[in-house]
Amino acid sequence: MSKADRLRAWAKPRGVPTFAFELPINLAVLATLAALVWAFRADGFSLNILAGAFLFAGLATSWNIVGGFCGQFSLGHSVFFATGAYTTANLYLKFHVSPWLALVPSAFLSAGIAVAVSWPVFRLRGPFFAFATMAFTEVLLSLAMYFDSVTGGSRGVSVPFRAGFANMIFRDRLSYAVLMLGFLAVSLIVLSAIARSRLGYRLQAIRDNEDAARAAGIDVLREKLVAMALSAALTGIGGALFLMYVRVADPPTLFSLFDVGVKMALITLIGGIGTIYGPLLGALFVVVLENFLRAELGGSIPGGNLIVLGFILIGTALFLRRGIYGALTGLVARFAGKPT
Amino acid sequence: MSEILNIIAVGLLLGGVYSLVSVGLNLIFGVIRIVNFAQGEFVMLGMYGAFAAQVALHMDPYVAVVLVTPALFLLGAVVYAVILRPLGGEPMMQIFATFGLLMVLQNVILAVSGGAAYSVDSVLSSRSVSIGPLQFGLVRVVALTASSVVAAGLGLYLKLSLQGKAIRAVAQDRKAAQLMGIDVERVYTITFGVGAALAGLAGCLLSPLYTMSPQIGTNFILPAFAVVVLGGLGSVLGAYVGGFIVGLTEALAGYYIDPSLKDAVLFLMFIIVLIVRPSGLFGHAGAEEVGLREQS
Repeated sequence: MSKADRLRAWAKPRGVPTFAFELPINLAVLATLAALVWAFRADGFSLNILAGAFLFAGLATSWNIVGGFCGQFSLGHSVFFATGAYTTANLYLKFHVSPWLALVPSAFLSAGIAVAVSWPVFRLRGPFFAFATMAFTEVLLSLAMYFDSVTGGSRGVSVPFRAGFANMIFRDRLSYAVLMLGFLAVSLIVLSAIARSRLGYRLQAIRDNEDAARAAGIDVLREKLVAMALSAALTGIGGALFLMYVRVADPPTLFSLFDVGVKMALITLIGGIGTIYGPLLGALFVVVLENFLRAELGGSIPGGNLIVLGFILIGTALFLRRGIYGALTGLVARFAGKPT
Repeated sequence: MSEILNIIAVGLLLGGVYSLVSVGLNLIFGVIRIVNFAQGEFVMLGMYGAFAAQVALHMDPYVAVVLVTPALFLLGAVVYAVILRPLGGEPMMQIFATFGLLMVLQNVILAVSGGAAYSVDSVLSSRSVSIGPLQFGLVRVVALTASSVVAAGLGLYLKLSLQGKAIRAVAQDRKAAQLMGIDVERVYTITFGVGAALAGLAGCLLSPLYTMSPQIGTNFILPAFAVVVLGGLGSVLGAYVGGFIVGLTEALAGYYIDPSLKDAVLFLMFIIVLIVRPSGLFGHAGAEEVGLREQS
């Protein structure tokens, strides 16, 4: 077997890939990332960037479930992010529940809100759906500012520094990087399990042609809601971890359209929408680049990092529609001698 | 009694502002079926344009309109031709591209201005008019008048002129319009330019009212989306009337419920309208489903 043949065999598995096929690849990818963390274990600055990249990789991966595979462009995921953060904060600060345990109600509450909100909104298609989810972000943001007994209002919530494993508060950056890697691992494996299951194929059918999917006997609304619930539950966990990581957050940060809701979508798009590893690649690229640019340009040109990011976004939409992942697989296929 | 009159007046004047901003957005939305997230940034550019004209040429913002509006028309036409035309038929990619544009414009202005807050003066700034017991700032009255004139003018232009008829034809059926010999891409470019120019006009007229910041466009874009959805996709009259509905809702909710909840009330209403009557008050039924699919 020549090298090209082997590469081709690798790039194109026979038959329909199953979860059993995907899981080893998942684990290999995660092991590589763990090695990366280990390599930087003494470098607090890099570990911070890695933690941020893993968090957003996990968030983008969960957004990809509903945004990429099901084709529903939610711009309202910051609502679920904030729900998770506030649930954990309240349980921990008021009832002294360990944040680890609080992750469970955070996930369930986020999923519950997602289903309740999405039920009516899923009647809308395309940009109208995106609008409605964006509007929900605004509604909940002003409600969060108003009900300050739950959210701390505009002062925000702050979690006192009490280091300890049970409190999910660590002195070293390494633990946070590992924590976020764990979140990414869960998101990635859930996404793989969905993508390689009947649910995943039904979601893709809905994305590609909703009417045809319905005609084929798929309960469109139900599948969309399941996808939204899973996606929101993971996002809620991400929000809870984010809060324990930064330990202080106000509503404009948690409900931020640009820093949370839209960013998840942007990272997915840049990485490769509707692919399993695209969001991960996108997050590594965007978060690392953002930090680099902020360090290089932030002082001299305010907003310089966002100008570059904006151009990257336009460029991706214009020239790289399948994202970084699509470009890489295209390259692999070309090296394997397959016409693209 | 004068209390409620006052609230209604405030709401109507605010509605004038929203109408002015929304008309261009709805034109782009209705004809090209592009959701332009950067529309608020065009308004912002209009404001900074008025500021630049005042600093460099000592122009009143109302005079600066003659410079800013054509400049934004050109910008809009270029943006459409370079960024959005190649993405035709992919509404989601267009959304992302306009989002990228939003980030670029916002932060370029931030980089240039260094984040300093600017404001412009007009000879009209400190004047006010009084009707009965009510007092209005003249600048807001001008904005209200301008939005009425713009809506009427745009409506007549679309109805009567050949170019306007072409725009409407393309909005109704792109393929058929093309078969009738209409240069569809040219119509789209002009429409996007006009939409951007209207935003620039709004920016100039509103510049004496607001302290400028690079993020100010975001304050307009969300109510403007609400206006478009309320009024109806692609309807000039809808955008005009929708502006007043949104303005009044904001004023009434701010007074009777709680000022900090006015956004929540507004957007709840927006979501309810979206669900109950997605085509809006003046839109064509079904537009929300057919309108944004690529016409084949």
